[in-house]
Amino acid sequence: MLIHIFNGIVYGALLIVMCSGLALIYGLRRVVNFAHGALYMLGAYIGYSVATHSNFWVALLVAPAVLAVLGVALDRWGFRLLQDRDPLTVVLVTFGLLLIIEDGVQTFWGKANLSVPAPDLLATSLDLFGTPVPAYRVGVVVVGAAVALGLTLWLRYSRAGLFVRAASTDPTTTAMQGVNTDALSATVVGLGTALAGLAGVVAAPFLALSPSMSSDVLIDSFVVVVIGGLGSLAGAFIAAMLLGLIQALGAVWLPETSMLLPFLLMAGVLLWKPAGLAGSRT
Amino acid sequence: MTSRKLSTWTLAALAVGAATAFGIGSGTVLSLLTQATIYALFALGVGLLLRQNGMVSFGHALYFGSAGYVVAILMQTRAVPAEAALVLTIGGLTLVAFVLGLLIVRVPGIAFGMLTLALGQMAFLTASRVRGLTGGADGMTVEWPSTLFGVSISVLTRPSVMLLVCWSTLVLVLFALALLLRGRFGGITEAVRDNEERARFIGIRTLLPRAGVYALSAAVTATAGVLSALNTGFVSPESLHWSLSGVALMMVVVGGTGALWGPAMGAAVYFLAKDLLGDHAQHWMAIFGVALIVATVFAPQGLSGLLQQLARRRRPASAPAAAEPGPAAR
Amino acid sequence: MSDYVLKTEDVAIHYGGVKAVDGVALTLERGQIRGLIGPNGAGKSTVIDAITGRCRLTRGSVELAGEDVSALGVVERRRRGLSRSFQRTSVFGQMPVRKQVELASHKMGAADSEADADEVLRELALDRLGDVIASDLGYGEQRRLDLALALVGRPTVLLLDEPMAGLSVQESHDLAKHLQALTTRRNVSVLLVEHDMDVVFGISDEITVFELGRVIAAGKPAEVRADRRVREAYLGSAA
Repeated sequence: MLIHIFNGIVYGALLIVMCSGLALIYGLRRVVNFAHGALYMLGAYIGYSVATHSNFWVALLVAPAVLAVLGVALDRWGFRLLQDRDPLTVVLVTFGLLLIIEDGVQTFWGKANLSVPAPDLLATSLDLFGTPVPAYRVGVVVVGAAVALGLTLWLRYSRAGLFVRAASTDPTTTAMQGVNTDALSATVVGLGTALAGLAGVVAAPFLALSPSMSSDVLIDSFVVVVIGGLGSLAGAFIAAMLLGLIQALGAVWLPETSMLLPFLLMAGVLLWKPAGLAGSRT
Repeated sequence: MTSRKLSTWTLAALAVGAATAFGIGSGTVLSLLTQATIYALFALGVGLLLRQNGMVSFGHALYFGSAGYVVAILMQTRAVPAEAALVLTIGGLTLVAFVLGLLIVRVPGIAFGMLTLALGQMAFLTASRVRGLTGGADGMTVEWPSTLFGVSISVLTRPSVMLLVCWSTLVLVLFALALLLRGRFGGITEAVRDNEERARFIGIRTLLPRAGVYALSAAVTATAGVLSALNTGFVSPESLHWSLSGVALMMVVVGGTGALWGPAMGAAVYFLAKDLLGDHAQHWMAIFGVALIVATVFAPQGLSGLLQQLARRRRPASAPAAAEPGPAAR
Repeated sequence: MSDYVLKTEDVAIHYGGVKAVDGVALTLERGQIRGLIGPNGAGKSTVIDAITGRCRLTRGSVELAGEDVSALGVVERRRRGLSRSFQRTSVFGQMPVRKQVELASHKMGAADSEADADEVLRELALDRLGDVIASDLGYGEQRRLDLALALVGRPTVLLLDEPMAGLSVQESHDLAKHLQALTTRRNVSVLLVEHDMDVVFGISDEITVFELGRVIAAGKPAEVRADRRVREAYLGSAA
């Protein structure tokens, strides 16, 4: 029982890392990044390559960095150029990007399932209230918590964070106040995609790398972000944990229906409150 | 377009279909054309939703695949004669879509898209896991009886006949939709699409028309699903996957929604391109991803919109005509 | 028993801490034009929103021809003959002019919606632009289209929110004349929010003055013009 709750928390932590990126990008740019899952996958595969040639810890640094650069490019030549267009246009572009990245990954790394071994330091098991749990997974939870805490503090107390919150609420006035919204945008989107990449690398040792991993996690991410309220980080954190636990516990008790629960939850929330639980704007 | 012109075009199209179906000898080509026609119908449903409601569905494969599965299950249980099963499937799914529509069309903006994605995936996962009912990931065969509407199944599944059936269905559906959208329903749904608030202020109750369009789009896509089940005799979870919805959406964007037949054109381009790509077809996802991006950014009115613009330039216009709306009219 | 075509009693609209409208009472008689004037942000548009059902009342009631419509939605009120135009032009962007005006007429239950639409389009000098897609119209033309959508279908009560904004002097003049004709010929009642004082004082039978969500004066134009509070708040002592 405990192990299932623990696994739920682990997956929830992963979703936190993943979805905070999605929420950040939406919050600032009002764009639902359909390519987010593909970016996660790309991060995982890049991590795999780096890890097999050097080690996991380097991968943990390199993959998010590469994804950050990609994010900045995406913002500069994608979101910013299209910001005056119909919002659907950008979404479709990210969807096209998703197709391109998926193809790229398949071409470069093939369609076989790959695996990344956990780093030696964490390849042991720890004792959690009498139940042995893989140390690596505990590490994942730590990363999730660190991201959640870090982002919250950053948004609350840093100048950049203040600007992000301001720009999320009112981009025009913020720009008029002399805040460099372009640089801000690049930072936030880069951060968002870096988080997706980080999630990918972190996920690699305990979830297999496969061509379908992007869509699996994308759907879950959408569910989280929608339930939490589009653009709300706090909401995303809570919803991520909720989803992680539902998936893990549901798989044990109600295997047939557990996979439907997230969608039903999302559908329910959207119908009752189209803006999500915590979000105030759609 | 006047009724007379519409009827003429329809008859001409049917004639072309017959000529092609019986004129082409190659089974492979006929088969490819049939597939393209089925996808054109699928994309037509997605395009209808976008054109009349301004809403994007990322999960219309829900109706495409479900149609196949419902038909397959009905055939398996032999609960009703095959002809009735076809009608029940399309009619039933349309009804379900209407009720669902009443709930989900209220969800604004991109949240609607995400919801459709979720619903589609839900269906996909259900079909993949519930082995007992749907055969799970392996799919299930559709046990067609020996005759359908009086025609022997072996005749019906001949490539040329199959193409004729699918093409005729596509043409007739287009005809019916064009007639329907000319009238009040078309005007009302366009008004709601353009400015929902003002629509209410001129006295339109906006929920029913939007749910109606959603149901109609589901009906069209479900018809494509039924034809597909007839064509291949088989249905699998892939027919419910979001990537299939994505392909249909891409056809809609590339083909454009200014003209009702835009999505059908998009389907034609997709299949033509896939065929021409040959070896490079391995990378079709990337290529179509690029096509989607290019189309969305540089030609939001799609190929059909471009063609219409060209046609208008040739004809000296009597009244200034506007460029057709982008991927979604607000 | 009220003879009023429209009556509001103690209408209040509060958004969180903001009291956009706080206790407004208005009446409108058949065939009357009542002008609503006041500084920007005084709550005039919000009152129109309240009367049409666009926003929920925090307090108070709205009556149409003696019937309490406070609980009814926008569509139901429209079907009872209430019609409004918008301060920020609100038309059907991708539809041709004539098609949308005819649709509006039809939805109002007009017996011959085509003839009705044609008549209104002619009155607003839009008849030659019938086939033009709304988004291709110029600003002034779009404003007139917004008005056309409100005028069509023989409404009994017209709420016009700054209809003259964006119109030329001649167009304003013509519209003012048209409104007067509507009230005398068809007994249409009009609530007119406007900043153009010449128009308001020229055609209104009565005027209500707003400030900060409240009515500070109401009465015949001459009375209102002479009212000290109104001059201080809005008109300036030179008026």
